[in-house]
Amino acid sequence: MSSSTPFSSPVFGGARCFVKVRGFLPALPALILLFCFFLFPVVRMLGFSVEAGTLDWYAKALGEGLYLEVFWNTFEIAMIVTAVCLLLGYPVGFLIATTTPGWATLGFIFVLLPLWTSVLVRTYAWMVLLGRNGVFNRWLIDIGLVSDPLPLLNNFSGVLIGMVHVLLPYMVLPIYGAVRRLDPALVSAAQGLGASSWRVFWRVYLPLTAPGIFAGATIVFVLSLGFFITPALLGGGKVMMLAVLIEQQIHQTLNWPFAAALSAVLLALTVGVYSLAQLFTRQEARS
Amino acid sequence: MRNMRRREAMMIGGAAVLAGRGALAQEPPKPAQIVVNHSGGSMGAAMRKAFFNGFEKKYGIRVVETSPADFGKLRAMVESGNVEWDITEIGGQDAIRATKMNLVEKIDDKIVDRSKYPEKVRTPYVFASSVYTTIIGYRTDVFKNGSQPKSWADWWDVKKFPGARSMRDHPVDNLEFALIADGVPMDKLYPLDMDRAFKKLDQIKPHVSVWWATGQQPAQLLLDKEVVLATGWNGRFYDLIKKGAPIEIEWTQGALKQGSFVIPRGAKNPYWGQKMLAEMSIPQQQAVYATELGYPGLNLEALNYVDAKVKPYLPTQYIDKQFWIDDAWWADNGNKALEAWNAWKLKKA
Amino acid sequence: MASRSADLEVEGLVKRFGEVVALDGVSLDIASGELLTILGPSGSGKTTLLKVVAGFETPDAGAVKVDGIDITTMPPAKRDIGMVFQNYALFPHLTVARNVAFPLEMRNAPRAEIDKRVGEALNLVELKGFENRLPRQLSGGQQQRVALARAIVFNPRLLLLDEPFGALDRKLRETMQLEVRRLQRRLGLTTVFITHDQEEALVLSDRIAVMNRGAIQQVASTTEIYERPANDFVADFVGESNIFHGTVTETGSVTLESGRRLLITHSAPVGSRVGVLMRPERFGRGPNTFNGEIREAVYLGSSLKLRLACDDGLELIVRLPVTGPLPASGSRISTGIEPESIHVF
Repeated sequence: MSSSTPFSSPVFGGARCFVKVRGFLPALPALILLFCFFLFPVVRMLGFSVEAGTLDWYAKALGEGLYLEVFWNTFEIAMIVTAVCLLLGYPVGFLIATTTPGWATLGFIFVLLPLWTSVLVRTYAWMVLLGRNGVFNRWLIDIGLVSDPLPLLNNFSGVLIGMVHVLLPYMVLPIYGAVRRLDPALVSAAQGLGASSWRVFWRVYLPLTAPGIFAGATIVFVLSLGFFITPALLGGGKVMMLAVLIEQQIHQTLNWPFAAALSAVLLALTVGVYSLAQLFTRQEARS
Repeated sequence: MRNMRRREAMMIGGAAVLAGRGALAQEPPKPAQIVVNHSGGSMGAAMRKAFFNGFEKKYGIRVVETSPADFGKLRAMVESGNVEWDITEIGGQDAIRATKMNLVEKIDDKIVDRSKYPEKVRTPYVFASSVYTTIIGYRTDVFKNGSQPKSWADWWDVKKFPGARSMRDHPVDNLEFALIADGVPMDKLYPLDMDRAFKKLDQIKPHVSVWWATGQQPAQLLLDKEVVLATGWNGRFYDLIKKGAPIEIEWTQGALKQGSFVIPRGAKNPYWGQKMLAEMSIPQQQAVYATELGYPGLNLEALNYVDAKVKPYLPTQYIDKQFWIDDAWWADNGNKALEAWNAWKLKKA
Repeated sequence: MASRSADLEVEGLVKRFGEVVALDGVSLDIASGELLTILGPSGSGKTTLLKVVAGFETPDAGAVKVDGIDITTMPPAKRDIGMVFQNYALFPHLTVARNVAFPLEMRNAPRAEIDKRVGEALNLVELKGFENRLPRQLSGGQQQRVALARAIVFNPRLLLLDEPFGALDRKLRETMQLEVRRLQRRLGLTTVFITHDQEEALVLSDRIAVMNRGAIQQVASTTEIYERPANDFVADFVGESNIFHGTVTETGSVTLESGRRLLITHSAPVGSRVGVLMRPERFGRGPNTFNGEIREAVYLGSSLKLRLACDDGLELIVRLPVTGPLPASGSRISTGIEPESIHVF
């Protein structure tokens, strides 16, 4: 997208290499910190998983139907959450990016406020709102829209609502950024050349904000994979995600090697999704 | 290495106490504070009222509270040699496992007087702090005038006792309840027949709308009318009943468990940890605690100091109608049972 | 390409942004096939005028008519107006060919026709062979040509160019100016060109409309604008100029405020206050003579530019042909101007 795409000319390529080496030194403290507090624990964890000198725990994690199913559940939920976040987040990010500064500030407050509230508090708030006798159901019954309370809590929809609420800002912000970066003259140009609003969206906004969409979707998806509190409390114990299982292995069964193996698979999955998204974004930029 | 030296130091310290016999001068120096780790919530508040305030006044040592009780963390602390807690609450099976894994210090019966405790709970490494039971909580406006389920067979009878139920998201208790509902006598439960239990659980699965994960959920679910029947810990129901919630307890066939505290191996102030356990074994203080939470201590003299109105809410009144969870069985089979539980949960009905 | 070129008429356009009046009653007529330049400094309202014509802004009052039909409230997509933006506004994710094809695709033209027309348009702007490049792989001049091809490929009724050459270097700018002129003539396309560069305006235009503070100052042919500006602003903005004010004291003579008398051919009534314009390159011989001291001399290759402090107190900019060595500042000089070379307004 931007002019700094890595395929200008060989000359610049050489210069970039030089900059890379020089740029490495100031980053050293951060790298050391990252090594101590991130890389080392990860390696230590991987060590746990092969403590016995065999890959038995991985065989268990990937071989037994129970765990495969939980992996798939987790993946499926992450995909649905990402899709819903995108459907809700795009219009919101778009509106905030294109409205007047006053409305944009208000929109930002609404988007960011949940980020400053604890996940636990928000989750309990949803329990109050979504329960059988919760605010939302009572209201629906009062206005006569339904006669029996809707099952919104303690099932998949509860988990979905809760997770989307927590993760939506991570989708809105990159999309907002992408829409803001878009040159408004391109929109005028498209209109002037005969494009209807719908076509302006499909042909100009959507392709040009794709990097923002990818960034947001990747963050939301990756964060969804590791979700723990929300599915446990809003799902009524019926929605099993991998993080819940890992927590069981650590706190209850004390089977740390297995917990480590499950975590390693989750990590691999996350890195895999992230790399794929990166690859895709780069391809997009190249084509 | 460090732990070894610490243990040696402890043994030498113990020898010194023996040699000095009651010489207060031999008491280890007082730290500014000790750390008590417990499961938090209203329990922490009750412990403060019943035990910690008195301890602080008596010895001038501040009691710092942390939570929750976490076996994984205990193990990590002991293994890394950096033990923050002086005493910690611990689950029943975890206490057995902790003892086997050599993660805890011995209880010093010269400091902690357990002479009035039932023989069964006077184990060398684990201090039985209280007893609690998992029983049926129900809404009194749905089940009026004693029309509530009075056995696990009733609980399973969704025609006679309709309505959404909540049970714990864990095999413990539930496997026992299922077997009792299926006709196994309470004294013949162990070893548990897991296949039979899960088969029985299949029948109730569609009627359980919430598998609860935290102790406060069942009472709250009843209060919010999210469910009309919930299994739960007696103290949590007692707390809301005290506040006038339309909830009552059916004690029949409840699953008894003891609340336990241990001193982590390598704790910084083991002597003062023992002193804290001693404070927690005083009957008058246990009565205060029981009145607050509905969890009576196991010093049997404590009941003498409890108000008559509170007594009906203490599980020690109903021990005959209930059964003790076999922590040893669970310590050996818990992991297998949990795995089977997860698989059963995932199974499409 | 068959021309559908239309005439454009704007009537009494008013546009305010809060307190700022961007257009203060602008009226213009542009004939079919004509190239009209709107010339003015930044903030004069020329871009707002273009946006109103293109449909990106709605005027507070007034009307825009194409071939006599009012399109003031028509959405831009329906106007059939080709536009070239200041920074080209090429779609960065589309190739050259797809950029040029864009307006045809929006009109749901058949694939074969799109290919044919895109080929023709790229031929016209001499970009054959660049079809599959992305905009960022092109030079500024090439991007400009793509923008131009995209603006004309759908055979628009009007072509609007908003300072299209601002980002190009001088040499390229001149080439592009001639090319646009050539193309515009060849297609016979009614064109409105916006610039703040008076030289560019002189090179390109059939007629020039000079704008300032939201109002048209003068609309006239290029020579008219240069030789016979309607007021101080136009005189000053277009080309170098020596402007003075004075009173007509007798027929054929003006007395400036400094007391200096000038002979003129203009027959303004005696006693009227007038402006007087003398272009620097018109000096040489003539009955109106000026003697003075050179304050500054600049060598411009084809001519000499002098700043002259005259003995009677006037300050003049004078251009003279290069005849010998550069005169030193402080040296004295004498020059003159014919009465017919003095414009009175």
